[in-house]
Amino acid sequence: GPRRPPARSPRAPKSLPGVERGPGCARGLGTALSPVLSGACSQGSRAEAEAMEKELLEDYRFGRQQLIEIWGHACAVAVTKAFPLPSLPRRQPTLLVACGPAQNGAIGLVCARHLRSFDYEPTIFYPKRSPDPLHRDFTTQCEKMDIPFLSYLPTEVQLINDAYNAVVDAVLGAEGTEGTAGTEPCAAILATLRLVRIPIVSLDVPSGWAAGPGGSGDISPDVLVSLAAPKEVARRFQGRRHFLAGRFVPEELQRKFGISPREYPGSDCVVAL
Amino acid sequence: MPGPRALLGLGLLVAAARAGGRCRERGWSWSWNRGWNRGWERGWERGRCLPHRAMHSPGTARPGPAGLRFLGQEEAQAIDQELFTEYRFSVEQLMELAGLSCATAIAKAYPPSSFTTSQPAVLVVCGPGNNGGDGLVCARHLKMFGYQPTVYYPKRPSKPLFEGLTTQCKKMDIPFLPEFPAEAEFIDELYGLVVDAIFGFSFTGAVREPFGSILSTLERVTVPIASIDIPSGWDVEKGKADGLQPDMLISLTAPKKAAMHFTGRYHFLGGRFVPPALQEKYALNLPAYPGTDCVLQLT
Repeated sequence: GPRRPPARSPRAPKSLPGVERGPGCARGLGTALSPVLSGACSQGSRAEAEAMEKELLEDYRFGRQQLIEIWGHACAVAVTKAFPLPSLPRRQPTLLVACGPAQNGAIGLVCARHLRSFDYEPTIFYPKRSPDPLHRDFTTQCEKMDIPFLSYLPTEVQLINDAYNAVVDAVLGAEGTEGTAGTEPCAAILATLRLVRIPIVSLDVPSGWAAGPGGSGDISPDVLVSLAAPKEVARRFQGRRHFLAGRFVPEELQRKFGISPREYPGSDCVVAL
Repeated sequence: MPGPRALLGLGLLVAAARAGGRCRERGWSWSWNRGWNRGWERGWERGRCLPHRAMHSPGTARPGPAGLRFLGQEEAQAIDQELFTEYRFSVEQLMELAGLSCATAIAKAYPPSSFTTSQPAVLVVCGPGNNGGDGLVCARHLKMFGYQPTVYYPKRPSKPLFEGLTTQCKKMDIPFLPEFPAEAEFIDELYGLVVDAIFGFSFTGAVREPFGSILSTLERVTVPIASIDIPSGWDVEKGKADGLQPDMLISLTAPKKAAMHFTGRYHFLGGRFVPPALQEKYALNLPAYPGTDCVLQLT
């Protein structure tokens, strides 16, 4: 296989100027902490993720569409590893892809398109469409691949359980805050996702988790695909498979943000953690 | 137990725009696309694909998988245009997928362990257009796969896309040569592989400098050359008998007619992004890609 650079010992994530890190972060996010401190942790982690994205876009001159394409493709590959075609319980390889209004949703659209090219049958639920022309193009690409778009999500959860093998949660991701998680239509989607019996694959951050400390109201995904690096809230993840889609991150950025180097199998863009 | 069809009946599914001429049952399109590996003749025999049976005259002899079409230059350009205008893909998106395909094909055929040079050093020669852009993406992915790419990029379009791709490479410590190695022997000594990303399917007419000299040198190189989409300097349909003779060709989207004149060891198909409707419209008859691979070995 490809020659890898010498292993480096992982370093603790550096604090960015202006980002407060509460004691809870050093110990690992605990629900025993006051909401303010654990909120500060998830904010701190989000600030780092945003800082990395900013550096990728401004210093490394990646295009936003390029990054979303890379992430969406990697998420689709992770889905196929978690749910290989022959392993699906239903006769048809159906998947429901729930897309939110912001970047996480756009990643879901790209993910759905690649799943379609991998011979799965995704159906998209994308109730609140971003006016961003980039997101509109992603939508058109899906439509032109003959991927159906649901006009509404059944509240009768059994219909979803019966129709699809799994749900891809691309609703809120790391963007979810107290505000957005509570607004429509995301609140309704999350309410439904809490009740489904089929596995959920969350992209980057399980929707609703970024809003605050863990609670019984959280959705419980079976699979998590972390983008670039696992987020702080991922520590709460207790599902079956956790993948990292981080091969695209330049080594210098990995060092700067304290991302442990990983061995990716062959030319795979994701690795199982 | 309600399935997706029941949801259709309940009016919940909004049908997306569907290409004309598709069979009602979706099953046949899968057996068509995956047929190469799973015995598509069986699907043919079942008589489900009657409209398509007419499209593929069995009498036409073609190298490679039966029925795989080799495109003319105008057709290739038309498909490209349609991907951008009808399907709303961006050059940025497709270039990323194309470059990834090229790097993946190279990793399959020339793994780093197979290099006789002390490091898996690769020279990537990038031309002035989109083929050069594909080369830049390929170089970046090669670096991530553990190779040591070096780029030569003499004519750079001043467009954000190409400037961005160049910066991405530079920030990943991929060196850019200030001048092209003067002798083929220098290339043979320093690199285990050359990636030819000079000209693609839009190439017509005479070769302008510095690429004429570069191609002359590459023609004398003995290490393997992997060409992206079209061996540079070849006529896109007729080839070039006295031109570059690459060891590998990575055809993007679908092979062009020039590929029929390719005599190297490895012919890969890459650019796994062609929507089924577009494949049908142009009767590309692409064989099925294995699993989630973005490349398919044709020979």
